[in-house]
Amino acid sequence: MRLLTHTNIDFLSKRKRYYLLSLIVAIIGLAALFYNGIPLGIDFQGGTEMQVRFSNPVEVDELRDAMDKSGFSGMEIKSMGSEADYLLRTPLQGEGQTVAEKIQTGITENLKGKSFEVLRTDKVGPKIGKELRTNAIYAIVFSLLGILIYLALRFQLVYAIAAVVAVFHDVIITVSLVALFNLIFPSLQLEFNQTMLAAFLTLIGFSTNDTVVIFDRIRENIKLFKNENIVSVMNKSVNATLSRTFITSGTVLLTVLVLLFFGGEVLRGFAFTFTIGIITGTYSTIFIASAIAVDWQNKVVSKKK
Amino acid sequence: MKKNLFRIILTVVFIAAALMYIYPTYQDYQINKELAGLTGQDSLDYVTKNADRIKSARDGRLKLGLDLKGGMYVVMDVDIVKLLEDVSKKKDDPTLKQVLDELRAIPETSDEPILDAFKQKLNARGLTLKSFYGEVRDSESDIEKKLSSEIDNSIDRAVEIVRNRIDQYGVAEPQIQKIGGKRIIVELPGINNPGEVRKLLQGTALLQFQLLKDPETAVKVMQNINNILVGKQITDSNKTVSGNDSLKKNESLVSKDTTKKETAGKNEIKKDTTKKDVTKKESNKKDTSKKLDTSTIAGDTSNMSDTSSANLSEEEFKVKFPFFFLVRLNEESGTADGFVREQDKEKVDLILKREDVKAVIPSDVIFAWSQKSFEAGGENIFTLYCLKKDAELTGSVIEDARSNIDPQSNQPIVSMSMSSEGSADWARITGANINKRCAIVLDNVVYSAPVIRSKITGGNSQIEGMGSVQEAKLLEIVLKAGALPAPLKIAEERSIGPSLGEDSIRKGLLSSLVSLALVALFMIVYYRNGGAIADIALLINVLFVVGIMASFKATLTLPGIAGLILSLGMAVDTNVLIFERIREESESGKPFRTCVELGYRKAFSAILDSHVTSIITGIVLYQFGTGPIQGFALTLLFGLGANLFTGLVITHFLFDAYVEKGKVVNIG
Repeated sequence: MRLLTHTNIDFLSKRKRYYLLSLIVAIIGLAALFYNGIPLGIDFQGGTEMQVRFSNPVEVDELRDAMDKSGFSGMEIKSMGSEADYLLRTPLQGEGQTVAEKIQTGITENLKGKSFEVLRTDKVGPKIGKELRTNAIYAIVFSLLGILIYLALRFQLVYAIAAVVAVFHDVIITVSLVALFNLIFPSLQLEFNQTMLAAFLTLIGFSTNDTVVIFDRIRENIKLFKNENIVSVMNKSVNATLSRTFITSGTVLLTVLVLLFFGGEVLRGFAFTFTIGIITGTYSTIFIASAIAVDWQNKVVSKKK
Repeated sequence: MKKNLFRIILTVVFIAAALMYIYPTYQDYQINKELAGLTGQDSLDYVTKNADRIKSARDGRLKLGLDLKGGMYVVMDVDIVKLLEDVSKKKDDPTLKQVLDELRAIPETSDEPILDAFKQKLNARGLTLKSFYGEVRDSESDIEKKLSSEIDNSIDRAVEIVRNRIDQYGVAEPQIQKIGGKRIIVELPGINNPGEVRKLLQGTALLQFQLLKDPETAVKVMQNINNILVGKQITDSNKTVSGNDSLKKNESLVSKDTTKKETAGKNEIKKDTTKKDVTKKESNKKDTSKKLDTSTIAGDTSNMSDTSSANLSEEEFKVKFPFFFLVRLNEESGTADGFVREQDKEKVDLILKREDVKAVIPSDVIFAWSQKSFEAGGENIFTLYCLKKDAELTGSVIEDARSNIDPQSNQPIVSMSMSSEGSADWARITGANINKRCAIVLDNVVYSAPVIRSKITGGNSQIEGMGSVQEAKLLEIVLKAGALPAPLKIAEERSIGPSLGEDSIRKGLLSSLVSLALVALFMIVYYRNGGAIADIALLINVLFVVGIMASFKATLTLPGIAGLILSLGMAVDTNVLIFERIREESESGKPFRTCVELGYRKAFSAILDSHVTSIITGIVLYQFGTGPIQGFALTLLFGLGANLFTGLVITHFLFDAYVEKGKVVNIG
């Protein structure tokens, strides 16, 4: 069985088009980001979160009423799939976990007779929230830096830069698309917490993988086809690796989709982000990465002249 | 085959090692299944019979994260403002209170060190640290240094207090970690009552000095307990009845093992004359070998049928003296310190909690455990002390404690000084109780029970007899803990109920199996027999990752399972790269054997580079993530690492197996 072998598509000559596409998507997405944003989870914002499961279905309004009466007006209440599972969230932290206790008594008092089970509670103080935020930024910066250095050693600097720019592009597009989806489908309830951060970081690594494979082929082909023009060599390389790119992205996508559908709420944010990320990553690998390499090189070359 | 022999051997060795590391987890699973089917006495019997098996399985099994097992995760920081409040000499001064309130209002997220802000605010009001802290002769910078080191040391005290309490509370496999000198992370698996634990972790420590009950009374109380257990009558613990020495014979059964440590446990407390007093130092006497009157140990034997001096066997001893079977006394020591094996500790606790037993324990008596155990005869032994319930002094009288090496004896000692009111009380207490023992008790756990050598005036005491410098240091921390609190603030708390944990395990397992199946299927469909070879390598990959995790005693979390699944997807990439190359090469008409070699060789650089970049992000994630995220990074890293072996080496020699025989592997 063969897929996408022996193709001869010209990816590079129309690269300006693809830049434009990326730009448009990015703009729409960033607009969505600023308008609605991806809400920060309590990991980064601080606050208290409690997941409860009632033995019998409870109406959202009843619950909201009960919370208002207990002094938690404006508390975020999300349904976790069924009419009996709810997620309650408030930015208040309180000392110890008295907030959680207050919520519990609030429910018992105001929703008399409705027994419930507390599945989990999380409380993150402001200090920790800030530290996690700082760590998140360091994590992204260091991984990009690490990759840049490693690739600069293995390939020429031009390619290393192109790869990192492509990855950066992936992150931005993925963030934009996630924000967009969050806007259009609020029921997805995506939020930016540590698990989603893990998705982005893994994406960075994975997207680089893809790009590296193509660059590796380009490096090989440059030696083989010494007399050909660089654009043509690049095109050849992308075409040669096309099959592999799709199959690998495909299998990873498959595993992530399994996670998305079977992995439960905790991993949903991760799985969704990663799904979008793989698609974006594949796109950038094929249409953007080599393009950047070419254009950067030309700019550098023309500067020298 | 020869060039592959080494690789094959290596593979077999790795697989065997992986299986060996995974075995305890399987064992543990089996044991739990069997236990689930038993109840009550049967299950108790099963546990006792298989104690060793259970222990080794539990030690070696794969650790599950809190998100899979349920439990609590708490991060605590030292509440510096409260510490400043508690340590000050004028706690009720309104200006101080004002300043402290202002400090509390500073958002937690600001990076300004609190001590600096404190100084600033005081100075702005024309006050100095000296106004509220330190001795008269201390300079401002001295005080600042002292306060600063107090803050740093408070975390050690806090860790000890927390550890103590969690031990008492009884959690299986708790984890307490000190991070970066200012923070404690506590993980408590299986906790269902976060409210209780919260109170436990945040309450102030209680340090008390409690005298030990005199040995005669203590033994009588124990005999009464014993009689309850055996179902016999109780004696009035004030009467002494003469009896025979059947017990004496059996006591000596144990004393051999315990005399060795008995002397080490004998701490002494005496007046610290090194600093203040000019008078001669007390001689370092060892405790008297005052033997207990054997008649009093034997107690009321009128109800015991066997009054002959025949040597009782272990079994008979257990039946007749169930309490003493668990709590062994050493008659030669002249004390009523009971020695209990670690595994019996819980049983003794249960006995002491019984209503009928509680009824025979006099109202002025309380039993307390030693904080640590010592080793004797290959077992860990805890000491059970019989104390006077009312404390003579509380830890608030202690002004300072310091561990040292006595220059004359070269032994570790702890010197402590008390406040003036404390000193007066202490002089009275020590004067009235010479040669008696006084226990130093923190949160109802005995850290030390030294003998009072002399009347101690002036409040400076010296405790000797610790077995090591660490012991002395620990005692210093404990003494300070009672005097100087280490108030903790909970910065982060997560508690997960067991049902969510089970839920997550199920979902994790389901996802893993489904992805594995789908990927394996795809490989066969697309790459035919080559795909089958790749699938074998994939399965071995999973085995390796689980084995590595078990060998490192790493914790598996739900994101960790996601990481494993992801690494499977990426592992496929290795094979795809190789197979695509082989296909390409075979198109140019080369013999299959050559294609395989070329495929592996040419694909190698791409495989290496792509793995390294993913490994870099994995390492970064591990470094900057916490808990579950680190679990994800770990399985990802292990998966990628293992893949470099399974994808490259194992598939290669599997291919060679065919290729060397001149056969061709159908890769579609």
